[in-house]
Amino acid sequence: MSQEKSESVKLQSVNSLRTTMDSYFQRLKTATETGNKKIAWCTSVGPAELLYSMGFEVYFPENHGAMLGASKMAEKYIPTAVSHGYSPEICSYLTSDIGAFLQNETPLQKSGFKTVPKPDILVYNTNQCKEVADWFSFYARHYNVPVLGISTPLNINELTTGIIQYVAKQFEELVPKIEKVATQKFDIDKYRETIGLSHDGCVLWRQVLETAKSKPSPINFFDSAIHMGPIVVMRGTQYAIDYYRILLSELQQRINTGVSAVPNEKYRIYWDGMPLWYKLSSMSKLFANLNTCIVASTYCNSWVFDDLDSKNPFESAALAYCKLFIVRSDDEKEKVFEKLLKEFSIDGMIYHESKTCMRNSNTHFGLPVRLNAKTKIPYIEIHGDLNDSRCFSEEQAIIAIETFISQLSSRN
Amino acid sequence: MHKIGIDLGSSYTKGVIVNKKNEILDFYAVRTGFDFNKAATKILDKFSENYKFSSPVFTCGYGREQLNIPFIANSEIIALAKAVYHIYKCKCSVIDIGGQDTKYIKITDNGQVDKFKMNRKCAAGTGSFIEEIAFRLDITAKEFNQFAEEATEVFQINSFCTVFAVSEIIGRIKQGTSIQNLILGIYNSVIDRCIELSIIEDKLIITGGIPDSHPKIVKLFRDKFPSAESPEKSQFLAAFGCVLLNS
Repeated sequence: MSQEKSESVKLQSVNSLRTTMDSYFQRLKTATETGNKKIAWCTSVGPAELLYSMGFEVYFPENHGAMLGASKMAEKYIPTAVSHGYSPEICSYLTSDIGAFLQNETPLQKSGFKTVPKPDILVYNTNQCKEVADWFSFYARHYNVPVLGISTPLNINELTTGIIQYVAKQFEELVPKIEKVATQKFDIDKYRETIGLSHDGCVLWRQVLETAKSKPSPINFFDSAIHMGPIVVMRGTQYAIDYYRILLSELQQRINTGVSAVPNEKYRIYWDGMPLWYKLSSMSKLFANLNTCIVASTYCNSWVFDDLDSKNPFESAALAYCKLFIVRSDDEKEKVFEKLLKEFSIDGMIYHESKTCMRNSNTHFGLPVRLNAKTKIPYIEIHGDLNDSRCFSEEQAIIAIETFISQLSSRN
Repeated sequence: MHKIGIDLGSSYTKGVIVNKKNEILDFYAVRTGFDFNKAATKILDKFSENYKFSSPVFTCGYGREQLNIPFIANSEIIALAKAVYHIYKCKCSVIDIGGQDTKYIKITDNGQVDKFKMNRKCAAGTGSFIEEIAFRLDITAKEFNQFAEEATEVFQINSFCTVFAVSEIIGRIKQGTSIQNLILGIYNSVIDRCIELSIIEDKLIITGGIPDSHPKIVKLFRDKFPSAESPEKSQFLAAFGCVLLNS
């Protein structure tokens, strides 16, 4: 019969996380019901600080997409979006979100929302991908509200002053357009303060992730993928800072007392690519049972904007949001990988190639082969998708992962 | 006491019984169906007619943890690599063509798995691709292989997708292309999908149910890799490797 299974150790901070996220959604609900504040929709690495500083409650459709994936509802909605002319090959956050909208359903209904919060304005940054512009345009047409965007160059190799100024100018040009919708005028001091809060939140989030450098690690990727909620949706607010202080304190306590996220941690893995949102729980158990901790990931590290600087809010925002991993060339990505593999004492890498998210999949242009030649760190590629579970063969992935860990064990 | 290894695959469940000297005494395969435990039981019943064997049994494959008797589960990739190295004792690359998966495994000169890769979530390049086409054309594996042997030239199949490959073949039959040339094209299509899994620089070993039942595929591999070999009854190697891993 099979051996006894072990599971990862749950973080106590999850209760505070729930409270923090519930309060965030409550603020959005109040704004929806009372109109006390206007609502802006923003992309997950969009100019959230600008919107918060101008008095908006900010809603993030990508967060909603991840909720649809994690609650295994995405596959119900993707076909609806496809039937309305959206390709099944494009971002499954987009297709699941629009599909749910077309069916007038949302997991937020469990929290008392009738629908997703109605936007007064939509603001995106194409730094992560161009599809967000099409996604937001759908809602702009539906609600007849303005959609604004920052267009960021992709595949940036050297981050030149020219690129930063080009993007910073777009940040500044958004201001008068947003003011037409906002209830309050732009205030540079308020913006500086918000940028400062965002910076401090990002530093805390980085420190949270960096606790995983400890051996054994007090946190794993599956924890981080859940606990990243506040840095995504409350970046630029005190709420995120307050929460990450609680989480960081627990993790430091774990380090001091030798509590690890994965009991008997033997192997340390780097995960590149999107989470398999619909398989977080089973994947967490699989890795724990293999005495393996995923200690670092591209995805969770993507919300570390510690270049934000309240003294220079527009240029530093442009720098921070252009420095983002996903915006960079493969040469720059390889440098980041090399650094992280070393710092986190990585034994092996898993690349998740997402069928509908090419921008977050780094397997297409030979990067894994090149990085392996440099670092000699073994890797595997698994094929799946962030939200569309139909693209994922679980049994095949399990065999590949189990074999990979056996392969690592034979090296030690 | 003899030991039993069972590879519970998506199409077939393959079992071997091995003596203390790590020699295969017997082997047996059944269709897996929907009940892995039932398939494994058939294997055990068959072996128990002539042999006594020890517990636990050593398993791998999709159904490796689905038995109601004591077992030790293994990775089929590690098991297959172990068996291949046991036979050839050299650095080599393995291409295993199974019902649902095609695998590439690079084995080091001391028998470790250096790297491996599996097919994407797509039937192209796997046994299912051939089986589905054979079913649709209503021909057996033996006839399929024979047709390929009789081909005079290769027809290039342009479809990755099994369903569209069948449509393409039927369309070409209507246009007068010989079935022999079309089937040779199907084999070549499978080989192309296999060799794109990785660069193959070492000696190539071809294993799995498909090369066993479609030996023409091995010949075609040899056209590209002259030193390629396929051991007899290679579909039982992963089951054999399970025993070797636990010896």
